[in-house]
Amino acid sequence: MKVLRSLEVWKMGSINYLNALKLQEKLVSDRKTHKIPDTLLSLQHPPTYTLGKRRTDHNLLIPEPDLQKIGAELHYTQRGGDITFHGPHQAILYPIISLRDVGLGARNYVEKLELTMIELASLYGVRARAGQTGETGVWVGERKIGAIGVRISYGITSHGLAFNIDPDLNYFKHIVPCGIANKEVTSLRKETDSVLPAEEVIHEQLISCFARVLGYSNLIWKENGSILSDSVEN
Amino acid sequence: MALRVWASSTANALRISSASKARLSPAFSLSRCFSTVLDGLKYASSHEWVKHEGAVATIGITDHAQDHLGEVVFVELPEPGGKVSQGGSFGAVESVKATSDVNSPISGEVVEVNSKLTGSPGLINSSPYEEGWMIKVKPSSPSELESLLGPKEYTKFCEEEDAAH
Repeated sequence: MKVLRSLEVWKMGSINYLNALKLQEKLVSDRKTHKIPDTLLSLQHPPTYTLGKRRTDHNLLIPEPDLQKIGAELHYTQRGGDITFHGPHQAILYPIISLRDVGLGARNYVEKLELTMIELASLYGVRARAGQTGETGVWVGERKIGAIGVRISYGITSHGLAFNIDPDLNYFKHIVPCGIANKEVTSLRKETDSVLPAEEVIHEQLISCFARVLGYSNLIWKENGSILSDSVEN
Repeated sequence: MALRVWASSTANALRISSASKARLSPAFSLSRCFSTVLDGLKYASSHEWVKHEGAVATIGITDHAQDHLGEVVFVELPEPGGKVSQGGSFGAVESVKATSDVNSPISGEVVEVNSKLTGSPGLINSSPYEEGWMIKVKPSSPSELESLLGPKEYTKFCEEEDAAH
């Protein structure tokens, strides 16, 4: 018997990091109390550096006050993983799902996030692979194209993945990305010979890859706008 | 009992090989079925165990949990003297870029934390029931232990959870 699994997809456009964080906290709480189904946020951030639970700020290579000069914010979070950069033209997915309901542990879930990005890359002829042990993420050769940082609380996920479509890679020069020195960061633009369609198309493809890899057969789409403002104000 | 001992040594052998070749899926699924569950402990459905010995209860995460997490690289623990409540989070572990909250099976006061986990977080993987213990708690409501799962119930729970996908 195959159970129809539903995923509610929120397409959000560009969202400030803190607003997205507050929204995720509310959604995690709602998911935990079964008020909402498994939910997927699809979005981008303005230039933002983030640190994980281990607070590895030694991997930020410029002084914090200089961040404003380059138009970026810095946020400390409870997710796993090291320091990373989020910015325009980077596709982000924050799945708020119940791992217990899908029968996944952290490791398997993260592998599926990697697979999601690998599948997206392959749509453009880019052969990406999962990282070696200790280098979670998605790589093209020795260059990192996708990053992962997840939080699991009461079996509900938040944070997620970030896939470089065509971000300004210079921003990554100010950090040791993911704490892994001597490895380049890359993007779909750099790696593919194909002409890239409008980013909205790539975002939807990423969502479809996620849904397929995680086994969701029923997608409910919600657009931006009023949903976000209601949730954040609450 | 003999079957479980055989199973767990097989699982250990498998785990050693699967740890070094992290992408070998077949090795994962076999070792998952043989996750060790110890007698004499109580279990929470969120995969923590508790060992009640007199005035103090020791708490950690189960073999099933550590296997599903992957290699633990960081452990966050509370301060001694803090309070925990049944089902509430008391700390977190990080593995594969995922931080997972760890919840207390019982309520009480934290009397000791395993400081070895700071330098050796992998003890949770290699010895989840012994050297990888996380906190010791003075239980405030010993009757809470009754509401937890016994070894057989927990084993069944794990099997059902893993079969779900």
